[in-house]
Amino acid sequence: MTKPVLIIGGGPAGLSAAHALAISGRKAILVEKEDRLGGAPILQGYAKLVPSHEWARDAIGGMVNRVVSNPLVDVKLNSSVQKFDGEPGNFVATLKDGSTVEADTAILTTGFTHFDSINKPEWGFGTYPDVVTTVQVEQMISSGKGIRCPSDGRVPDRVAILLCVGSRDRQIGREWCSKICCTVSANIAMEIREMSPKTNVYIYYMDIRTFGLYEGEYYWGSQEEYKVKYVKARIAEVTSDGKRLLVKGEDTLVKRPISIPFDMVVHAIGMDPNVDNMTISSVFDVKLNKYGYIGKPSTYLHMAETSRPGVFVAGSATGPETIDDSIAQGTAAAMAALNFANMAVQAAAE
Amino acid sequence: MPIHEKSLIRPEKLVEHEHLVIEGMDVSGHWSTFIEGRSLTDYNEAMQDEIAALPGGENIHRCWQCGSCTNACTVNAINPEFNPRYWIYLIRLGMEEELLRDKDIIWQCVSCNKCTYACPRDVVPEAVMKATAHWLELKGHTPKSPSMIFDEGFSDQVFHSGKIEDSLVLRNFFKATGQPLTQPWLVAMVTGLIKRFPVFYLIRLGLLTLFHPKTKRWGKARAAIHEYVEECETANRKALGLDAKGAE
Repeated sequence: MTKPVLIIGGGPAGLSAAHALAISGRKAILVEKEDRLGGAPILQGYAKLVPSHEWARDAIGGMVNRVVSNPLVDVKLNSSVQKFDGEPGNFVATLKDGSTVEADTAILTTGFTHFDSINKPEWGFGTYPDVVTTVQVEQMISSGKGIRCPSDGRVPDRVAILLCVGSRDRQIGREWCSKICCTVSANIAMEIREMSPKTNVYIYYMDIRTFGLYEGEYYWGSQEEYKVKYVKARIAEVTSDGKRLLVKGEDTLVKRPISIPFDMVVHAIGMDPNVDNMTISSVFDVKLNKYGYIGKPSTYLHMAETSRPGVFVAGSATGPETIDDSIAQGTAAAMAALNFANMAVQAAAE
Repeated sequence: MPIHEKSLIRPEKLVEHEHLVIEGMDVSGHWSTFIEGRSLTDYNEAMQDEIAALPGGENIHRCWQCGSCTNACTVNAINPEFNPRYWIYLIRLGMEEELLRDKDIIWQCVSCNKCTYACPRDVVPEAVMKATAHWLELKGHTPKSPSMIFDEGFSDQVFHSGKIEDSLVLRNFFKATGQPLTQPWLVAMVTGLIKRFPVFYLIRLGLLTLFHPKTKRWGKARAAIHEYVEECETANRKALGLDAKGAE
């Protein structure tokens, strides 16, 4: 009962789980493989978050400080779990430096990996410097440099955002919708328009999935307040005429091929399963689902459970997820870990 | 089985050489038939702003192409080529050349406003159609439509005298549209009036036709209206990048 809960991954879900456990009076060990806490929003340099418009460093930074300053949380940076043995209530984890920690239960908040656009070479990433990803645009904004073409530093007159790069595409084995890219792209489009009103932004889409309340602020807002243009076309190819990028495809509504010059093309990259998931799966002996995310056997009865008793999961380790839902799931996983320990105590008492 | 793509071939894109020899091979006539590409190579980014600057076009940028307007449209039910949803898209993306292909039917909107009440985004497609017809006229792509000619004649009279005189409105309209005044329905109406109307009213009608009375102390109102109308027209032309005064 006195053993801590082991949390793997210091992103929004892990930070949320650690905080929830600590304020409930339980000890937690937070293992993070990078040298900083915060997960993708901090490590990848996101700018303003959906839906609060707070800067990532402020919003997630607040979560980090709350966890770091809590004496019940033992943060281990530059670390990872190499071995994980034992039974629920008596787990022993061997860390990278050879040390071992004991834990009651474990929560996997190991997150996702951004899709690597190199895997869709026809869309020009890696070939043309002015073809960038949504993450790079986030970094341009968060670093204060503004939207500039990497090739020569000019402010683009025209930007194309291509949706579903690395999502909804059987050709590259990624059939899922990454859920957040439509909203993130609309948000980025609005930020570009705000920083540079002369820059026209076009979003090329198959469907727009700014679900729930994101619809009004992001989809409608980007059109109505920022005059972002949405074009129904799955782009076939991004090439260059020597001066500008050429975006080629079929405009579905006009039933005509298009070949339109742009200064910058942005790939709205999706959320892949964490590249380390095979290792995580074998170390923790948890099953992955058919897409390669960490599987959840039950949707309704035990939302945070994995295939292994005593090992829970939360956030984008389970599939594409928003930051706010990851935080909610982190709290739910903490609750599941607390319940699990409680039940063990009751069983022992009987 | 018919090939659907054939419907996309436009006659002006079909090229055929009557006499052509390539590398010693005679490919004259239909042997040299070639279909030119249909690719759109650019967007005219000014177009949406131009339409939005005209009265009625203000909300065009809201459209998300759901098709509620076309689905509700009275004219579309008769002529499937009449497609407000499609034209709004062309304007939004600046596909001017595509829009101009339909310039002779866009003005046929009957302003029933069914689209206005169907549109989930409050684009007000009916008003956009008006703004578009107006744009086509101002840019010189279409002649003034009969309804525009009628409206102008009507409002000119109101602005001038604060009143309208029906027979003058009609005469001016028929003159401006090159139609004979002896329209059978008009002749029938006038002879019917003469036969049945009390003499007193007939005399009044006749006098009104000869002398056009004005609203009392109208001068100030007329000046203000003229000033305002001119201001609006100048702003419209400026938004479209045209000279301050009509070129047509």
